[in-house]
Amino acid sequence: MRDLADHLFDVLENSVKAGATEVKIILGIKDKLFFCKIVDNGSGIKDEDVTDPFVTSRKTRKVGLGLPLLKRAAESTGGFLKIYNSEKGGIILEFEMDMTHIDAKPFGDIARTFVDAIYSWPDVDFEIFTNIENNKKFPILNSRKIKNIVNQYEMQQKEIRDFIYQSIDQELRKIGIDNQFGIL
Amino acid sequence: MKNLEELKKIRERVRKDLELRTGKHRIKIVVCLGTCGIAAGARETMNTLIDLIAKNDTSDTIVTTAGCAGFCEQEPMIQLYIEDKEPVVYGKVDAKAAKEIFEKHVLKGEIVEKYLFSKGK
Repeated sequence: MRDLADHLFDVLENSVKAGATEVKIILGIKDKLFFCKIVDNGSGIKDEDVTDPFVTSRKTRKVGLGLPLLKRAAESTGGFLKIYNSEKGGIILEFEMDMTHIDAKPFGDIARTFVDAIYSWPDVDFEIFTNIENNKKFPILNSRKIKNIVNQYEMQQKEIRDFIYQSIDQELRKIGIDNQFGIL
Repeated sequence: MKNLEELKKIRERVRKDLELRTGKHRIKIVVCLGTCGIAAGARETMNTLIDLIAKNDTSDTIVTTAGCAGFCEQEPMIQLYIEDKEPVVYGKVDAKAAKEIFEKHVLKGEIVEKYLFSKGK
């Protein structure tokens, strides 16, 4: 994984694989700490430690590296990652990273991650929020609303992809997520 | 997202344009997007293909995604389904390879041996 954008796409894929139909993502920055919370309605996790690389739900091989890699990336900046089942079923994943830490990976293109996710999994509803002061959520995208307007084939068109990309990117920049260098 | 109205306008424009040339989907490209694929840069592969389809006006081609196929060392992998033909799987498809496969196989029907992983089911 080159950057946070790749990691984020990977954990979204976990949710999709767990059969989630709704995934909420909350992103924010507080005192140079980047935090992210993902809530889905998938099948949740069993009593095992999914951040252990030798625990995986896949059948094709016996190791799963997605979460262990992200956990390590978070911890190496002094941050953390935790994942637990929510009461409604599904998981809650939270992680935090100090983006000013020398070992922090760059953000990468987070807006592109979301465009790719919406395109890749058309049957899943993604809701994205940025978190500003006082834990208030500010909605920046609801993929169902987009899909009500454009179909999968139209999603392939550059003009539409660019439009969605720009409307996400613009909001991410407002909270200080810059796709090249980390915190502005 | 407050500017859904604007999105509708763009869609109308795109839709009109598409109506002129859309047939049914004859070619399907599946990009493997498991952890292994993502780490190997499969999203770049996917976006390259989508851009090429738009650029070449190949409106009978659609890109979809799948999970890990179990050959992680071959990632990024793509599967190419062309109507009435055996499916073809390519391995180590970075952006450059994607362009070559698109130009040769999707547009002209020639298999690109260099990146060929398997043929048939």
